[in-house]
Amino acid sequence: MSARRMLAAAALAAVLLAAGCGGSSGSSGGSGGVKQGGVFTIGTTNYIDTLNPFNYIEAEAVTAYLEVYPELVQLAPNLTSYEGSFATKWTHSADFKTYTYTLHSGAKWSDGKPLTSADVAWTANTIVKYQNDATAVLASSVAHVTTVDAPNPTTVVFHYDAPVDPNLVLSNIASLYILPEHIWGSHAGNQGKDLKAFRPENSLPLVSGGPFQITKYEKKGTTVFKPNPGWWGPKPHVEAVGLVYYTNSDSMIADLKSGQISAVDQVPYTAVNALKQSGGLAITPYKYGEFTNITWNSNPRKPQNRELLDPRVKKAMSMCVDRQQIISVIYDGQATLANQSVIGPFGINWQSPDDQKLQFNCDQANAMLDQLGYKRGANGIRVAPATTGKYAQPAHPMQYQIMVPGSLDFNGSREFSIVADGWSKLGIKVTQQAGGDSAQAYAIETDDNCDAAKSTGYAKFDIALWDWFSYTDPDFQLSVATKGQWCSWSDTGYDNPSYDQMYKQSGTLAGAKRLALVQQMDKLLSDQWIYTFLVNEKAISAAQPKWGGYHPELNGYNYGYMTEPYQK
Amino acid sequence: MEGRADYVVKRTLFALLTVFVAVTINFLLFRALPGDAVSGLRCQHCTIQFKAALRHDLGLDKSKWEQYKIYLKQLAHGNLGLSDVSHQPVRGLLWDPLKNTLLMLTLGTVFSIVFGLLTGVVAAWRRGTWVDKGSLWTSLAFYSMPTQWLGLMIVYFVADRIGLPHGGIQSPDLGILGNPSTYDYWKDRLEHMILPALTLGLVLYGEYTLIVRSAMLETLGEDYVLTARAKGLSNFAIVRKHGLRNAMLPIVTLIALSLGFIVGGAITVEYVFDYPGIGLAIVDAIDKRDYTFLQGAFLLLTISVILFNFLADLLYFKLDPRVTT
Repeated sequence: MSARRMLAAAALAAVLLAAGCGGSSGSSGGSGGVKQGGVFTIGTTNYIDTLNPFNYIEAEAVTAYLEVYPELVQLAPNLTSYEGSFATKWTHSADFKTYTYTLHSGAKWSDGKPLTSADVAWTANTIVKYQNDATAVLASSVAHVTTVDAPNPTTVVFHYDAPVDPNLVLSNIASLYILPEHIWGSHAGNQGKDLKAFRPENSLPLVSGGPFQITKYEKKGTTVFKPNPGWWGPKPHVEAVGLVYYTNSDSMIADLKSGQISAVDQVPYTAVNALKQSGGLAITPYKYGEFTNITWNSNPRKPQNRELLDPRVKKAMSMCVDRQQIISVIYDGQATLANQSVIGPFGINWQSPDDQKLQFNCDQANAMLDQLGYKRGANGIRVAPATTGKYAQPAHPMQYQIMVPGSLDFNGSREFSIVADGWSKLGIKVTQQAGGDSAQAYAIETDDNCDAAKSTGYAKFDIALWDWFSYTDPDFQLSVATKGQWCSWSDTGYDNPSYDQMYKQSGTLAGAKRLALVQQMDKLLSDQWIYTFLVNEKAISAAQPKWGGYHPELNGYNYGYMTEPYQK
Repeated sequence: MEGRADYVVKRTLFALLTVFVAVTINFLLFRALPGDAVSGLRCQHCTIQFKAALRHDLGLDKSKWEQYKIYLKQLAHGNLGLSDVSHQPVRGLLWDPLKNTLLMLTLGTVFSIVFGLLTGVVAAWRRGTWVDKGSLWTSLAFYSMPTQWLGLMIVYFVADRIGLPHGGIQSPDLGILGNPSTYDYWKDRLEHMILPALTLGLVLYGEYTLIVRSAMLETLGEDYVLTARAKGLSNFAIVRKHGLRNAMLPIVTLIALSLGFIVGGAITVEYVFDYPGIGLAIVDAIDKRDYTFLQGAFLLLTISVILFNFLADLLYFKLDPRVTT
């Protein structure tokens, strides 16, 4: 799993609802009857690293948290808006600095203790208190929060230090996993550090406030979820859900084919055809949040091949990449052309209508490069002319390395071949640089001496092939291009103080003002071509046909992922 | 007697020195990889502040020399440290995968030793016959097969036909609705162990057969074997007392090496069969740059290899006293 896919799933799994795959939490689709009971087993190549949300890193942990820890809101099944979960409704003050939630009344934890606003306030205030250290993992869920009050058992009030857009608030608060104060309260000592040391998995069944209880936890095995009898929401149909971890997808697919597991969220693209041919499984494509790109080193201080900082050169090169071929060859048609927006397909409503458009046209691309003065040498390779000034470079052939990580969920080497083939028509030669695993690939991009304060790093790579994950709120994706993310999430080394200023301002705006600024930022990045976006991936799920109500797109977003499956 | 004591002392000192050198190399080796346990973290909550705090907690902000001194100091106290990723004691984290690996690889190794010895001896004794040729070609074929390829072939073409699992260590639905009985639990475990153990055993068996056959041929050509024949000893007695016993030196070396490497797991076999042993745990730790876990795992592997080689050295002494000179 690529690093960005980890982020993707870790933050919020990965998907938009495909047409025909709809459903809502608490309602079961399908034309057949709903049979109660049965064990639904889901194969996954990600594992739950801990049941302690202050300590998690792995994607699958979020899947578990959504089923056992209540959230105030969750992403609705359409994955474009939010719906109430433990909160039944919410309002905000006119200045967007106070948000008030009304909670379900009479809710209980699985051990019979009352689940009230006091638990919400304790969880949120504890995170705020130790957000720079012990609770940093969940700090983004309470970004800008100063205090949280619980005026009565069914009301909780969040106070913010600045106006925060409702979409951003809900996006953040959806990751606030409410913990039972009567269990966790005694583990908040030692400046909060004891919170990280606590291992709830050591005393199962876990005290749960969600639709399921975890009765068995195996980090790299099977974790068992059984319905929580005290749950106030729609009851799960199944007797149990088993989340089964596999190290490699081949074994997982073999077990699916032999009927040992009920479903798989994501079938590797390379296995889809074989599964279709073997028959007997329901194979469903669904829109996915990952979108692939050509990453351009955009560090203004990069020492070599500085012609690649010129947006016109990058645009010309992008125009000679056959994205349709990528879709048909690599994805077997299960992808769509991506817009040139860093925000990605999930945040399409935030994208600027004026973003760059990309047409496949090598002739025009050649003409653009000719016009820019990049003449072809005797061997057919174009030559970048010598430059002067602080970053002077001698004339040199336009030949570059493209770094391809080894941890991509698609065939990166094949994509490289398609890109290289297109650019050879432009007189540009590229060779593949093995990126290794995600950590190594990031290290290649940022350099070992990366230091934002000294503006060092991002000096040794030119181009990479990778992917990003899209969110309904654009905040994170826009942050990736800031200097503040250097040596962390920034993979381009883009450094533009004006942009950073705009980003800072966007965090204190709400409504139409925020939308306008976000679109302006999106347009700016699109014009700079710090990325060339290639395709929006679709994911392919597979399930035994006797199961209905299985919506893999809800994984990490909505507890319906486990409450809705039923036997036909 | 003095020669024997000298020999044992020298081998012991050499083993200890090797452990120390290996510990140092292990420390340096993993730090030569780009990135560390923190730079490899990719999660939305992994802010720069979060990473700095984590790097401080893990001691990764200290110089390599400082880290090395701390590592040696901890090691001297028998402490393998806390995992850079899970923050759990490495000693505990090593146990589960090690347990899984030991069971599976012991099964495979014992199979290969027994089967390899048997076929090697028979092939040597029946030199030049179809039994020898058949055995030679079969063992050569298995020995030259890439382990992962053989594993994949077994997964694709054998597993379903004989009704054994493709991978994993237990059935996905085992224990979901209640704890399985001890019998069901171990039956399920054994079923999951058979194919990876068989894969490993087949590849190792080829190696054993070739070495045993070669060593046996050498000893069976010696004059004392001819003398034994002349004395009218039975074939079995000649092979057992005069052939096999004198061919034991290279065989003991091979067995010692195999047993030593058991602890290291069989990464490719474990990967193909999705078997959660120490090999897979090492791969996972490399992906996550979990230096502390890797140091612990490689220390274990090093000590295991050195220990078994040390035991082999002592056995040499028993088998052939000339090795002291």
